[in-house]
Amino acid sequence: MPDHLFVGKSVPRTIEADKVTGKAVYIDDLKRPGMLYGKILYSNHAHARIKSIDISKAKQLEGVRTVLTGQDIPDVRVGFLKDQTVLKKDVVRQYRDEVAAVAAISPEIAEEAISLIKVEYEKLPAVFDPFEAMKQESPLVHEIDARGRPLKSNILPLPWKFETGDMEQAREDSVYTSKDTVSTTWVNQCCMGTSGCIAEFDQNSNLTLYDQTNVIFGHIGRITEYFSQIGLRGKKIRVVNPVVGGSFGTKLDTDIYEFIAIQLALKTKKPVRILFDREEEFQALPPRQPAVFTIEQGCDKEGKLIFRHCEAILDNGAYTSWGATTPSVMMMPMSSLYRVPNVYFKATCVYTNNIYAQAMRGYGNPQATFAVETSMDTLAEEAGIDPAEFRLINRNRPGDQTPMKLKITSCGLEECIKAVKEKLNWDEKQGKQNGRGVGMASLIHVAGGARVTKSDGHGIMIKLDEYGHVDVIESGTDQGQGSPTVISQIVAEALGVRPEDVFLTFGDTALALWDAGTHASRHTFMAGNAAIGACAKAKRQILEMAVEQMPKIIKMGLKRKKRKDPEFVEPDLDFGLIANPEDLDIRDRMIFPKKEPDHPYFNLPLAQILQNGLLVGTGQSKVVMAEEFYDPPTEMLNWEMKGNLSMTYAFGASGVEVEVDEQTGEVKILNLIAAHDVGKAMNPTLLLGQIYGAAYTGVGYGLTEEIKVRNGRVMNPSFRDYQMLTAMDVVPIEVVIIEPIDEAGPYGAKGVGEPGLVPTAPAIANAVYDAVGVRITDLPITPEKILTALKEKK
Amino acid sequence: MIDCDYLRPDNLEEALGLLKEHGPRATLIAGGTDVMAKIRNTKKTPEVLVSIRGLKDLKYIDKRSGYHIGALTTHRMLEQSELVKAELSALHDGASRVGSVQVRNVATLGGNICNAAPSADTAGPLLVLDALVFMEGPEGIRSVPITEFFTGTYKTVLKKDEVLTEIKIPGEMEHFGSAYWKHSRRKAMNLPILGIAVSLKLEGEIISDVRIALTVAAPTPVRANKAEDFLKGKALSDEALNEAGKIAASTECCSLRDSLRGEAWYRGEIIEVYVPRMARLAAERIAQRRSK
Amino acid sequence: MKKVSVSFTLNGNTVTAEVPVTWTLLKTLREYFELTGAKEGCGVGECGACTVILDGEAVNSCLCPIPEVEGKSVTTIEGLANEDGTLHPLQEAFLKNNGVQCGFCTSGMLMSSKALLDQNPDPTEDDIRTSIAGNFCRCTGYVQIVESIEMAAKESK
Repeated sequence: MPDHLFVGKSVPRTIEADKVTGKAVYIDDLKRPGMLYGKILYSNHAHARIKSIDISKAKQLEGVRTVLTGQDIPDVRVGFLKDQTVLKKDVVRQYRDEVAAVAAISPEIAEEAISLIKVEYEKLPAVFDPFEAMKQESPLVHEIDARGRPLKSNILPLPWKFETGDMEQAREDSVYTSKDTVSTTWVNQCCMGTSGCIAEFDQNSNLTLYDQTNVIFGHIGRITEYFSQIGLRGKKIRVVNPVVGGSFGTKLDTDIYEFIAIQLALKTKKPVRILFDREEEFQALPPRQPAVFTIEQGCDKEGKLIFRHCEAILDNGAYTSWGATTPSVMMMPMSSLYRVPNVYFKATCVYTNNIYAQAMRGYGNPQATFAVETSMDTLAEEAGIDPAEFRLINRNRPGDQTPMKLKITSCGLEECIKAVKEKLNWDEKQGKQNGRGVGMASLIHVAGGARVTKSDGHGIMIKLDEYGHVDVIESGTDQGQGSPTVISQIVAEALGVRPEDVFLTFGDTALALWDAGTHASRHTFMAGNAAIGACAKAKRQILEMAVEQMPKIIKMGLKRKKRKDPEFVEPDLDFGLIANPEDLDIRDRMIFPKKEPDHPYFNLPLAQILQNGLLVGTGQSKVVMAEEFYDPPTEMLNWEMKGNLSMTYAFGASGVEVEVDEQTGEVKILNLIAAHDVGKAMNPTLLLGQIYGAAYTGVGYGLTEEIKVRNGRVMNPSFRDYQMLTAMDVVPIEVVIIEPIDEAGPYGAKGVGEPGLVPTAPAIANAVYDAVGVRITDLPITPEKILTALKEKK
Repeated sequence: MIDCDYLRPDNLEEALGLLKEHGPRATLIAGGTDVMAKIRNTKKTPEVLVSIRGLKDLKYIDKRSGYHIGALTTHRMLEQSELVKAELSALHDGASRVGSVQVRNVATLGGNICNAAPSADTAGPLLVLDALVFMEGPEGIRSVPITEFFTGTYKTVLKKDEVLTEIKIPGEMEHFGSAYWKHSRRKAMNLPILGIAVSLKLEGEIISDVRIALTVAAPTPVRANKAEDFLKGKALSDEALNEAGKIAASTECCSLRDSLRGEAWYRGEIIEVYVPRMARLAAERIAQRRSK
Repeated sequence: MKKVSVSFTLNGNTVTAEVPVTWTLLKTLREYFELTGAKEGCGVGECGACTVILDGEAVNSCLCPIPEVEGKSVTTIEGLANEDGTLHPLQEAFLKNNGVQCGFCTSGMLMSSKALLDQNPDPTEDDIRTSIAGNFCRCTGYVQIVESIEMAAKESK
């Protein structure tokens, strides 16, 4: 097999040149004829009864086309647990509750109209602490459930419990144990492009939604369900992605503003755009799910883990989006990061009058890994074993099946940990507690799809025209991860063309086959495999065409030559070499016989074959078109929360060296090593970008970022006050790529979108401990917390 | 912005005329970074905006019997001035830490102190550089020491019909070394949790004169007089500096409080640590200049 | 609504905009001239996605009242490529070195970098980081953006 021409190469992102010239069209830039601008009025209270809403002044404002309140639209419940309505008409349960909405001819008028709406509230007792909310006497956030049955508690009816082995025996068998309580807070995804969509109905009430979602078909499912309850049963929904300004989890659920845009468009019969401003993005977009973990672990004399026991409390906020499902992913590191035979994990989600949460890069894994990796360090210390050695003792290995029934295929964890050790000069630096310290943490994550819905499939269609252009209709979405480039590399490789011959269409449900969504670090793996399958089929069609056309073209060429040059002696050609499609191949736009790739006559351009073979004449013309729907043989989690939900798993380790200013508590990262098992680096430059970006977000998660919520209200809804890192906050990052080539992956690749973030914060926490001997168990690790802990230590 | 009159006078005289004409309806706008953000955040537009951004005459950094800095001098000009960097180092420190390059390219020194935020990054430096603030109004030109300029949070002695025209720093400051520390969680695009400015003069190892200023430590930027008094005449030692830091952090010098960006106790710790550190840096800078 | 007529040079062409006096340069670029490369990421000068070059200096166009642009020269991302349609070395470098991911910050990032290289063709890493400190990016961790700018500076020599 010759080397790959494109896979594994750092092909530039030329296919995305529109992004460097200002031509790329984001939702902000998209206008539809007659489009109106929607704006939302949010609650002024964390918990209150709405006594009255006066929209008369807003309605009278010139340029306003409609003003909607909960009274004006069907009272339909939406969301994961159907625990909220689109516009709230009786009770608001959090500050960001949507109370009214306006559509007007300009954003300024819409905003003014919003300011003219007067709402009278009667305050209700509120609860902001999940532990308080669990108590019997706590005020109830919801009085009834989705079916109208009375609720007696703020605890959500979700089944997040995982149990394996004999916990009692395991505790007895353990020589060393440790127990820690760790907590994480809300952080914002900080997409540079804010949330937005345009809803547009045609005359027959079919909806086109220009929307940034990265789960285009999931969106349709949820809106279809909504339609069936508002008198639009059977109507067609088309979701179209503009260029998306970042996702990081925000585009997984269908948010309330999207339903509001639909209602405004229905009412006005005009396209309506809702576009968040930055303040709204911080206040009204569900952030990462916070959690508090109490984690215990035990090991034997040699340091082999015997049990892990963890209980988590999640502040669910007032309603339920994907945040409440993050325990399904937390279970993965809880049960399967390192070998541990006896595991207990239980997560309780509790309603409060705080904001609610959703997905963010890593989906529960960063929170849970912070717990596990904190505990790994405290237990290692208890057992008197070097923390890196302790991790190596307990590392996952290829061929393992974990207690969650994950089947570990390729696994580069050992290499990753060793790389971190070496790059950090671990043995020399660890354990000094002299103001400088090193720490590490590992990760496991799905890297070959994630069967969280019945189908974990991904469909791709490809077609070729007579010029050799390849159109690829991708069912995934592009939110900046580089898929247009990577998929074009895969298609070029698999089909025998060049990346610049490949033209991709992402994110249009009217064109694309089904897909489970561009989430869970699954896109390169799933789309790559689908693309390889589709290319094989298309290639077969081309080669069948070549078998027909090549002899004709060659013979005609020889005749022409003979005509021009009577002296020319026709060679005696063995047409048997190109008589069967199996005997032919395509590479770099040329078709040739496999047995004699350099044959002087049997080497024809792909475009020539297509020109001759496609537009032939009556009854003989053809198209080249193929599809592949790749749905891997994985399992959904069963009622015990067990099952091999991914084809393969990503492993990695982060190591950090820090310097801590013991007078101020400030932490400086001197060195960050991110070692990742990626299967195969499809495009090394783009791969680095994924890891750099994820690790950097992880540093923010570890050190600076927090949404400050006080009595239910977001107090820092701006980039000025939300401490996302700038280019001046230098973090020297070195990436180590481990390539164990995964059999199931396209050319051996695994998913890599989320992993870089996951181990970063715990590695920092462990390094801070190694530097100054205080363990910060509550993210972010602020100078205030370090200084407080240092004072307590003294 | 909903609607307003946007007036762009060609010279100071015209500007003063417009301020007089429109009285309380008018708001002065210079670089616009504070005013425009405020309009956007509060969704309220002043009826009349009088822009002095075009008054080129108020953009200068001169050294002649003291340092003269035009009110419309941008932070970027201060950041890029070798003179300011070498001789008014604290001001250089402060100006280069405001917002971003984009902001510093337009935001003016006059605007920064007229806005009178307790967190203003140039206020502390100007306090330790003994700056004099010049204002021009219908009654002519007047000046006040910067210590008297701030009257409260977002409040100054500047009258509605006056324009701040110049900041003057006495030539004597040439003999001082100075430094400013902006304490914040990240390195750029921030408001300080706390600001500490120190300037001092050395005779041998003796601190012959010293100024210490704190921002976000009280409703206005303040001088820590008691800490200064303590240090004056003492040798530059860790012991003395640490004690000065303690005094500066005490209620004798500031009224720290908890806010979203930081807690009072932590602000106190930072003052204690960074007063000595900035004093050391100021002293180092004197030595550096001497060695050049 | 009071309107104002403002004439200035936009990407090399003399233009006149008749827009409400309260509009910012950003709004005028996006709405009046339909140049949507500059983005509104925050509207209050805190993210840099709207960065354009005004008389040689990088500014947040969201904070610039349109009357202030009278007689000035504005360069936007749409005016960055060469006249023959080939890309500016910065644009090439961003594509080559993965300085762009989702792309939302990219226009502003490129304009900040362009202003830097125009003033300082041989910047240090610190100069580069300072010049883009006001341009937030969530995708890249800035690493490959800084490298791209270094690469462009080298290639421009």
